[in-house]
Amino acid sequence: MKIFGKIIVLIVLFISIWQMLALVPWTKTLGLEEARVSTEEKLGDLIWQQYKDRENREPALTEPAHQILSIICKANHIETENIKLHVIDDIEVNAFAMPGQSIIVNRGLLEETQDPGELAGVIAHELAHLQHNHVMKKLLREFGLSVLTSVASGRGGGQTAEVMKILGATAYDRKFEKEADLSAVEYMVAAGVSPEHLANFLYRLGKADGNQEKYLRWIRTHPDSGERAAYILDHARKQQQNIRPLLADSSWQQMKNALELEAEED
Amino acid sequence: MNFPPLSEHDCEKASNSYLMSLMAIVVGLPLPIVNLLATFGFYLGNRKGSHFVRWHCTQALVSQFSLLFMNSAGFWWSVAILLGKKDPDNSYIAYMVTVILFNLADFIATMYSAIHTRKGNHVHWWLYGDITNRICPK
Repeated sequence: MKIFGKIIVLIVLFISIWQMLALVPWTKTLGLEEARVSTEEKLGDLIWQQYKDRENREPALTEPAHQILSIICKANHIETENIKLHVIDDIEVNAFAMPGQSIIVNRGLLEETQDPGELAGVIAHELAHLQHNHVMKKLLREFGLSVLTSVASGRGGGQTAEVMKILGATAYDRKFEKEADLSAVEYMVAAGVSPEHLANFLYRLGKADGNQEKYLRWIRTHPDSGERAAYILDHARKQQQNIRPLLADSSWQQMKNALELEAEED
Repeated sequence: MNFPPLSEHDCEKASNSYLMSLMAIVVGLPLPIVNLLATFGFYLGNRKGSHFVRWHCTQALVSQFSLLFMNSAGFWWSVAILLGKKDPDNSYIAYMVTVILFNLADFIATMYSAIHTRKGNHVHWWLYGDITNRICPK
């Protein structure tokens, strides 16, 4: 056999062995998948301990958000039981995804949304971050595997605070944000919600007065809101939309009334 | 292939080219270029040696090239995973196992060649021996 033929045989042999070995479920066999899920759950529990005391359990506030999450999940064949949504007593306009399949929505964001579609857009966006595993990817990039494992096992010391800061106060990279935005559009369309609501929300918040403290975190964690609103609308135009009512007006109004009461009490 | 009568010195030098390769594999597995540089350095040092020495230095060097490509790909894939840009999936683990198997095969072949060339026996590797014949004519 000539040299060229032997080179081809060697390459084919390498690729064949590689592809045959790739059929073995290594991540399961070596327990990597289990370790990853376990670390993420422990991390999520540990971080949630820092927010738990500020959770708002008022049904008038939390029910609409849970209902919207349930509608979006069902329409997109996502197991709703696996996703936890918590409302936090924080006047800052912000929402973020956490390890362990959790979404945190600040009261400030509920106050800022003008209709159920806008809230659906935010929830769909954070749900997309969870579905694409952006949360753990972001934390792995920032801290590395050994630090995250230490934090998850309770040996992280001051690094837990750093992890919380990265989750709630910094933006994902552009690629992750775009991926989450486009997936959010698809989730909303499947749930019968117009993605224009998400675009409007992003655009409006992007133009918000950056000097007002409650907007600061939103602006820091969601840069280029105007540009994102534009490509969301562009992607939405390519989808076939079948708009359906999302929430009863009464539920939404009850939430707004409850928010006003809580704001007066503060 | 026929070589003129070999001196003890020639046998030792030819064997050393494979030993250099062995040391480089041990050090260089995580750093693929080390393999190649070490073997290349030894090759340069023996360019003016006898045909037997030159031939085996060349064969040792040529065998490092295929390892360089597969080890480099494995190295950078691992770096991407450590930096969080990729996840360690089945394909990655299968690739690393395959690379380890090929490195092991090269290691065994190199050890075998080191022992036999030290005794003055010629060892012609599949593929790499053919390439060496083209590069290193009499």
